[in-house]
Amino acid sequence: MTILSRSLRTFSLFIVVLTAMSASRSIAWQNNDAQRIVYGLTLQPSGFDPHIHASSELGIPLRSVYDTLVYRDPVSQSFVSGLATSWVISPDGREYTFTLRQGVTFHDGTPFNAQAVGANLDRITNPATGSQKALFLLGPYRSYTIVDDFTIRLTLEEPYSPLLDSLSQIYLGIASPTALAAYSNERYQFYQVGTGPFMFVEYVPGDRLLLRRNSNYAWAPSFYQAPVENSVNEIEFRFFTDPVTRGLALEGGEANIMGELLPLDARTLNASAQVTLSPVTVPGQPLQFMINTQQFPTNEVVIRQALIVGANREAIIDAVYQRLSPIAWAPLSSTTTYYNADLVGSYTFNPGAARDALTTAGYADSNNDGVLEIGGVDLEIKMIAPTWGLIPDVAQLLEAQWRDIGIRLQIEQVPSRAALFDLVAAGEYNLVAWYEFGADPAYLSRYFTSSGDLNWSKFNTPELDALLLEAARQSDDNARRSLYYQAQQTIMEQALILPIRDYVNLNGYDTTLDQVSYDAYGWFPLLNNFTLSLGG
Amino acid sequence: MQKLASALATLWLAFSVVFIALRVVPGDGLTTQLIESGADASIFATRRAALGLDQPLLAQYVETLIKLLRGDLGVSLLDGRDVAQIIGEQLAPTFSLALAAMSVAILLGFILGISAAQKGAGFALISRQIITFGLSSPIYFTGTVAIALFATRLGWFPGSGAGRFDQLILPAGVLGFHSAAALARVIESQLKHVQTTPFVRTATSKGLRQRRVLMVHALRPTLAPIITIISIEMGYLLGGAVITETLFARPGLGRVLIDAALRQDYPIVQGIVVWSAAVFITITILGDVLSACVDPRLRGSA
Repeated sequence: MTILSRSLRTFSLFIVVLTAMSASRSIAWQNNDAQRIVYGLTLQPSGFDPHIHASSELGIPLRSVYDTLVYRDPVSQSFVSGLATSWVISPDGREYTFTLRQGVTFHDGTPFNAQAVGANLDRITNPATGSQKALFLLGPYRSYTIVDDFTIRLTLEEPYSPLLDSLSQIYLGIASPTALAAYSNERYQFYQVGTGPFMFVEYVPGDRLLLRRNSNYAWAPSFYQAPVENSVNEIEFRFFTDPVTRGLALEGGEANIMGELLPLDARTLNASAQVTLSPVTVPGQPLQFMINTQQFPTNEVVIRQALIVGANREAIIDAVYQRLSPIAWAPLSSTTTYYNADLVGSYTFNPGAARDALTTAGYADSNNDGVLEIGGVDLEIKMIAPTWGLIPDVAQLLEAQWRDIGIRLQIEQVPSRAALFDLVAAGEYNLVAWYEFGADPAYLSRYFTSSGDLNWSKFNTPELDALLLEAARQSDDNARRSLYYQAQQTIMEQALILPIRDYVNLNGYDTTLDQVSYDAYGWFPLLNNFTLSLGG
Repeated sequence: MQKLASALATLWLAFSVVFIALRVVPGDGLTTQLIESGADASIFATRRAALGLDQPLLAQYVETLIKLLRGDLGVSLLDGRDVAQIIGEQLAPTFSLALAAMSVAILLGFILGISAAQKGAGFALISRQIITFGLSSPIYFTGTVAIALFATRLGWFPGSGAGRFDQLILPAGVLGFHSAAALARVIESQLKHVQTTPFVRTATSKGLRQRRVLMVHALRPTLAPIITIISIEMGYLLGGAVITETLFARPGLGRVLIDAALRQDYPIVQGIVVWSAAVFITITILGDVLSACVDPRLRGSA
């Protein structure tokens, strides 16, 4: 027998052996003694420390590692007790006194008490920590006082009604002071210790993060179910950064549950019996483009309005998001508290009206190149477009739609938050895509007030400032509603943003799982409640 | 010895180029963290000073070079992990993928190359088509198709992850396939060339069958350039395969490098580039030595 045919025969034997081995692998996989599932994460955040980093991705596993002082009930949206059993707010709104739960221990055995809460607040407010979100969530917080071992008082510079909302978010989760002291700020993320229903076992960057159920967990908030025989007890999080592979991994059983499926995949998988689609509208800002009011030509409100009216958002929702997201009409998404539903339908698509408005304002195409000019300068706008969230696809459609009304779009793609922040700091942009999440709209102050650190539309008026700052101070629900309604109205009247779509997280899970649900903030799964379906 | 000297020179050149390239781009990982967190600039000034980032460029260059010679690759700007440790963690998955892919590449490469070198249609023609496909198709495409077909539809092999042997099969298969095509092309052209040489024509005219001529007489002198290609491919694979690692959700040097580059975490980028260069140079030197063993014509000059 020749060498060639001999090697061919060996090769085929090799393949047969491999297939046999893989067959035995799949049997081993189904033997799930540890009651473990694989959860697909979709991006590798720059860090996993909830006190430091701002990504919502980190909260997907860590929400179940930490408890917070209060929790937001996912159904009623009201605040229920967590590590704090009750709280009293002073009449002037500047002091919050929390009575803490007794008998709670961290995963490393450290007892939970007021000093532990204090240690966490110290860490978050320490400038050396470099907190990117937790610190901002605390707002005008000034200091804490330990009244006794199980009572702590937080003092604010001024009233701040979103404080309870902030304290219910993972970024203000309570960590073991022993662990915090044992590791440096950069290293703690690899050794996290909380009080939650799952323990942090290990995190290998780029590879996986492992959680295991805390059998001593006895202080769950009201909407957490007690563990049962077929509860999920171990969760391995793996990173599927390439969007195409997510649908494939879910279908093929590599992951039991996966977020951020591509809309087209979600549509196809929805039709299959093996995968259940669980779309969750995330409260917060919709995907929007902030419009720079201090850069030509978007410094003119007529141009800004023309951009919105000339954008066919219906077509974008159809083509890019497969109709699995609603069009956004306001600076808040429809499931956010104080969303102004009156704004639905404002600036509907009308390219004819856009062209007319531009002509009336004096823009004309004198050299017939398809782009309008004024004073000899072309109407060209620059957009900063991140590469995630299908934003480049949206940008492409907008480019064509705006070419129709005589405006030329230049897109600059940025591959990371870091690069985006760099470009924004340089200031030479007309549009920048952005969205932020959260159930309380207090974060609007960061974006639309003159003192806001993320005021990328650079719009400064004392009226809008007053509306937003007062709305954050007000404790009366109706007063807040009225103020936020007016603020949203102003923002849309001035065309400070082009809202595109409400953020819908397209989650899918296979038949292994049951009882899959998400918390009030939309992103974070209630892992505690997950069970393995009894069919296996 | 001359080889060693030129190897060290190449390594030094790689290090310098990367160092300059990283510093030319404005900003670094720490500055970006500063912007994002809105923290006071003095905090970051302290951290930068501790990491030596406030020194003049030449001083930083010299210091980094000296540390490198001592084997200290520095620490990550963002989470303080030791770069050498980070690289160490990626070695197992990167090496196993590289070795597996290379095995597939060599096996498949020889089969395809030898077939393609034969005259006529049939298996030879099919081999040539396969080689062209392997050279011209992007790995993103073949990888995705492989996952869709073998992992999702047929369920034969896992489409993601690392650590188990069966998780190597698809990524190594896909990666190996493309390397095999490159190898096969070289083998094919080498064999075609050598068939025109006098000693081969002598063997053919003596009446030996074509296949025996190829295998026994023609192949050996062509091995030297083939070994060179293999060592180059191997050196490249050992530096990490970014697209494969991303597609198959595997950890590896390629992904770590890209993530660090995007986040402007210099020490990691520098460390991986220098490490990959060192590995590449070592493998190619070994390849040269092996070539000299195999082909006596290459011995003599060091």
